[in-house]
Amino acid sequence: MLEMFSALFAGLIQVFNWSTFSLMMIGIAVGFVVGILPGLGGPTAMALMLPFIFKMSAVEAFAFLLGMTAVTATTGDITSVLFGVPGEPTTASTIVDGHAMARNGEAGRALGAVLMSSLVGAIFAGVALAVAIPVVRPIVLSFGSPEFFMLSLLGITFVASLSGEDQLKGIVAGGIGLMLATIGLDPISGIQRYTFGQLFLWDGIGLVPITIGFYAIPETIELAVLGTSISQQKVEKLGGVMEGVKDTFRHWWLVIRCSALGTFTAIIPGMGAATTQWLAYAHAVQSSPNKERFGKGDVRGVLGPGAANNSTLGGSLITTIAFGVPASVVMAILLGAFIIQGIVPGPDMLIPPPKGKLDLTFSFVWVIIISNVITVAVCFLFLNTLAKVTQVRGSLIIPLILLLIYLGAFAEKNAFEDMIIVLLFGGLGWIMEKLEWPRPPVLLGLVLGPLAENRLFLASDNYGLSWIWRPGVLIIFAVTLVGILYPLIKKKREEKASQPTTATLEAAPKGGLRFDRRVIFTVCVIILLSLALWQSRNFGVRAGLFPWVIGTPTLVLALFQLVKDLRGHKKVSAPVFEGEGAVEVSPAVASRRTWTILGWTVGFFIAIWLLGFSYAVPLTMVLYLKLAGREKWPITAVMAFGTWVFFYLLFERMLSVPFPDGLIFTLSKGQ
Amino acid sequence: MGKKLILLAVALIVSFATASAASADDFYKGKTIRIVVGFSAGDGFDTYARAIARHMSKHIPGQPPIVVENMTGAGSLIAANHVYKVAKPDGLTIGHFIGGLFLGQVLGQKGIEFDARKFEYLGAPITDHVVCAMTKASGITSVENWMASKTPVKMGGIAPGTSTPDNATRILKAAVGLPIQLVTGYKGTAEVRLAAESGEVAGGCWGWDSVSVTWRKALDSGDAVVVLQANRRTHPDLPQVPQAIKLAKTDEGRKMIEVGIHSDSDIVRAYTLPPGTPKDRVQLLRKAFEDTLKDPEFLADAKKSKLNVDPVAADVVEKDISALFKLDPAIVGKLKDILYN
Repeated sequence: MLEMFSALFAGLIQVFNWSTFSLMMIGIAVGFVVGILPGLGGPTAMALMLPFIFKMSAVEAFAFLLGMTAVTATTGDITSVLFGVPGEPTTASTIVDGHAMARNGEAGRALGAVLMSSLVGAIFAGVALAVAIPVVRPIVLSFGSPEFFMLSLLGITFVASLSGEDQLKGIVAGGIGLMLATIGLDPISGIQRYTFGQLFLWDGIGLVPITIGFYAIPETIELAVLGTSISQQKVEKLGGVMEGVKDTFRHWWLVIRCSALGTFTAIIPGMGAATTQWLAYAHAVQSSPNKERFGKGDVRGVLGPGAANNSTLGGSLITTIAFGVPASVVMAILLGAFIIQGIVPGPDMLIPPPKGKLDLTFSFVWVIIISNVITVAVCFLFLNTLAKVTQVRGSLIIPLILLLIYLGAFAEKNAFEDMIIVLLFGGLGWIMEKLEWPRPPVLLGLVLGPLAENRLFLASDNYGLSWIWRPGVLIIFAVTLVGILYPLIKKKREEKASQPTTATLEAAPKGGLRFDRRVIFTVCVIILLSLALWQSRNFGVRAGLFPWVIGTPTLVLALFQLVKDLRGHKKVSAPVFEGEGAVEVSPAVASRRTWTILGWTVGFFIAIWLLGFSYAVPLTMVLYLKLAGREKWPITAVMAFGTWVFFYLLFERMLSVPFPDGLIFTLSKGQ
Repeated sequence: MGKKLILLAVALIVSFATASAASADDFYKGKTIRIVVGFSAGDGFDTYARAIARHMSKHIPGQPPIVVENMTGAGSLIAANHVYKVAKPDGLTIGHFIGGLFLGQVLGQKGIEFDARKFEYLGAPITDHVVCAMTKASGITSVENWMASKTPVKMGGIAPGTSTPDNATRILKAAVGLPIQLVTGYKGTAEVRLAAESGEVAGGCWGWDSVSVTWRKALDSGDAVVVLQANRRTHPDLPQVPQAIKLAKTDEGRKMIEVGIHSDSDIVRAYTLPPGTPKDRVQLLRKAFEDTLKDPEFLADAKKSKLNVDPVAADVVEKDISALFKLDPAIVGKLKDILYN
């Protein structure tokens, strides 16, 4: 025990060695920028920095790399909140409520909350890492594929709590997400599912382009239609930051629970922050007594993911350190760094010196904590300035957001096709938002689907059917059941206790069925699901099992939804965006503006396609600012040039991102 | 200590600037070479490519800067097709994707749009050395008691068509007749290793370079044992471990090991140029590639990164690949059957 404490202390001393500390500060600075910029993720930054660590000692190297990684999830949240574009793939879920808050004029509060909860999450991760060290190996080794499968199943049941008021739609949406997850090469038999002969679909569709499409595009449309700044409210004082900090403590247990959820699920290989953030979001919704404000700017929807995407690092590190099994791409690179430093992850890392390297492990704990404390402190200095971005007029912000959308979509995998995915899912997300279909279940299904499928087959291949009786499986199954049943029972009780509420269903118009765009959308969903099921007949049992098992009930439920749509539906609640006393826009103007912004969005894409990024970016910028924004020349020139320089220096020159040449150039050269 | 910081700062600034200190007056002066890597940043393929990129420049007249571009997807097939079809054959693009695709072409793998015979080859920095490592707990501590096992031994795999572990394991099962149940679907060999440690599978067959580093501790303590190896040469680290090809029962089995494991190991990390790259530039780059792999600074760098270097010359790669296309159709059919069914 004493040895443990002395190692803990030794780790702290090592971090405060001045060269280590300075390197950590450089790492933090790099991570800060990387986190904020969409399309520039932790993995890329880490791979680029790897060569620099040759000359460093082990503690220095990890202070540098971990400092960098630890802050990306923190600053990535800032972009998500302010622009509705995820700064990192791991901060996508912060958009749902964080950006909604920004629109309500609460950007400061959202940022305060997200940063403070990030800090709590990071500290929790550090502490959890320290505490878990002695017990982690036996626990993780007692988990096999069956338990991993059950855990992903448990995660999938969270769909119900993400569904909002309309459970049926939510579950159908979750089913759609799970179906989308089957796109690509089936991992067990290597059969192509729904790839339409397109190579880029072999690996499935990515979370990043879908999230960007789902959220950033509808936001942009809304912004243009309302013709306001991001924040639609006149904010008296930008304060609010402290309010967000207070929120963190007001909802202290939620923040702690979500931190724990992040850390402990991340111990499972394959569960990174991209997944845990959604689980945390779902948990925040599930555990909150009044859920109406979720999706419309509830601070609890910010606190949960904010804490979880930071605390995940601790859990991922546990698997990486104790087993050398990287839980995410970032961890895989970190593992490479371990090896460069001549360190073999494994039991040694958990034994106090002189036999082991526990002091080094503890230095990680300190780096995670200290780097987040510094980042959050620095952020707080700028938060008010940052929040002001939401008050800049829309015409200046929209072209920037459009650039972030396409850059973020392209640069994650350097794939042109991802920009098309963004457009497709942008359209889908926009329709879903208008028709009040919840979007988070789709994303949860998408991240958990592959894990569940993989582990199900690994479990049955390894253990036959007997895996069902493993104690771990039974325990998790019990937890899952409780999770499903408890809210139902609670609801029943509450209903009994209170007066029966009046039916919210509006009576169907007499003697007829309703036929409107809701029906059309549901019919489209049904047609697509049917086509998907029809196609899956050729997949064979192994590759086909998942699409069948998911697709069939989803189709049946979608049919129910159709009946519901045809018979009438709930009173249309006031559209979310026009929130409290917000801007009113007449339908005619709204429709004209909608078409205009759709034109610009697609036009930007076409410009990129024809001219390539280098020409399309400044050109579209100038055109938009002049034609749509009617801005003055000086400001147009400065904005266009500034954006171009930033884009060119950072992405083209420094990162040498392989932007494709424009079509007209390839054609003219080809001739 | 301050020096380190300055070095880092300088390096950061240098990576901004791309101007090269040109000396020789020739084609590469003032140009930039790119290595298109089919896997993501930080992956094993990427790590080698970046190490080579750091040192190869000085072996090319004009010292063009070399950048690495990651074009991921479809197990690097997207990058392979890109280098073949889209990249300009001007000697400024080098491709690096998984060499298992060449055998894939012969076996009619879907999605391949290149002809492996038309690429130009620079060679490979390393030949893969396939070993099968098992946990002591599995009870399989030698190839003899593996052979004698009454029940199929569970081995971890990643996905059908993957050179290692899947292809190698399937070929060993067929050619040597080892009792094996391949359980596929793990995300990477690290997960296979974890599954072996938790007792879910007995072990797996993949490169010694990776096994020796990541499983060092267990190998030292005897908790994990290498029971079989498959390479043209017996690895100096593993003098006692039997060679799979010697255990093969038939000529056909030996041929399959030769093609599907030995030759695949040589070409799996090959570097390529688009077809039609001018011959003089091919020669120049081959020489530069070869010199880089011998460059003491590169070797020191590689050693720090624990990247083993065991170069395969360009002509060996070419020979291995042309041999693939002269395979007996019967063997091709058999391999197709073994690897994809």
